[in-house]
Amino acid sequence: MKLRLLFPSLCLALVAGTAVAHHSFAMFDRDHQILLSGTVTKFEWQNPHVYIHLTAKDAKGKTSDWLIECANPGILNRVGWKFNIIKENDQITVVASPLRTGEPGALLQQVKLADGRIMENGGPAGPPKISIVDGKPLPGAKPTTTDGSPP
Amino acid sequence: MAALLGVVAGSGHAADAGSAAFDPKDFSGTWDRYSRDPRAPNNIPVSTRIPDPPLKPQFVEAWKIERKKYADATAAGEPIATGYTHCQPDGMPAMMMAMFPMEVLQTKTQTTIIQEAYNQVRRIYLNDTLPPIDDAEPGFWGHSVGHWEGNDFVVETIGIKPYVQYMNTPHSANMRIYERMRRIDADHFEDEVTVTDPEYLTGPWKWTWVYQRRPNYKMFEYVCEDNREYADPETGAARLRIDK
Repeated sequence: MKLRLLFPSLCLALVAGTAVAHHSFAMFDRDHQILLSGTVTKFEWQNPHVYIHLTAKDAKGKTSDWLIECANPGILNRVGWKFNIIKENDQITVVASPLRTGEPGALLQQVKLADGRIMENGGPAGPPKISIVDGKPLPGAKPTTTDGSPP
Repeated sequence: MAALLGVVAGSGHAADAGSAAFDPKDFSGTWDRYSRDPRAPNNIPVSTRIPDPPLKPQFVEAWKIERKKYADATAAGEPIATGYTHCQPDGMPAMMMAMFPMEVLQTKTQTTIIQEAYNQVRRIYLNDTLPPIDDAEPGFWGHSVGHWEGNDFVVETIGIKPYVQYMNTPHSANMRIYERMRRIDADHFEDEVTVTDPEYLTGPWKWTWVYQRRPNYKMFEYVCEDNREYADPETGAARLRIDK
């Protein structure tokens, strides 16, 4: 309630926002984001979601085949992506929110492309809470685990 | 609160808004849902909060249980799959929330609204009549006719499929969606929505959506091609299909 009193405009803006999500992202744990670096094995540019297939090591050194869910082509185009911005065999790093089930799937928060550019996943996915450089919590973000294992 | 917001978002502010010349009967172009900070010094109203539907007493409890089911599942990290999971579009009236940009095309006899999400298209026939309810084949966007009342574009829609629901609100074949679309200034218009249903609602269910122009925007195609999210056949929760 305090939050509402302090930030009434924010609450209204959320109600009225253009960044209307398709659905809940609650299957992903956005409070425990992880850093993954690896090789793209497939890039699916399609609706209703874009997917990156990534063979990546987590912070514990375990290699897994991850499925990274992104926003859709329209949202991503509007924040500067292109249909061919990621290619097979690209080396990329992502900040992602893992599935709560422990399966190797995650929601993209931020990606560092093979050419070094850092791209966001659009408004509905929300911001990254850990640094894409070293996995440490970003200033102002809630505490988070960075060990790469699902919470 | 809803009534107060309704007044704020209603007519009567056009004279205070942007001064650039515009044709009040021209809605053509591409538009976004409007979302600026309402505290900023600007006269454009923001979209109103959608009130709970004024359901008849015998339907309220079931509606609350349904809403709670979705809210609890989301809070527990097990969100329930929705129509979107199955690649179903919003339909009416949810389409007009403008999840993504929308394009309005006008001719003398038809106004066409295209919503980028799910390639949704609704056709509003001008100075035409609606079919009798019994002849109105139900669909996602139904059947719409429109006419001008001064500078208000007034639209009436019937024929929405029973399971095409907004905010989990049940409706009958006699639901009617009335809309009053008005230009606010050169770069904004609003859609005052009123839903009536003599079988489910005690009175009109009203809110207003506001849109801002998105200049020079070219709409993207949207084919809901393959959603890796799916509904768990046992629990109904949304899951992610991961190739093994």
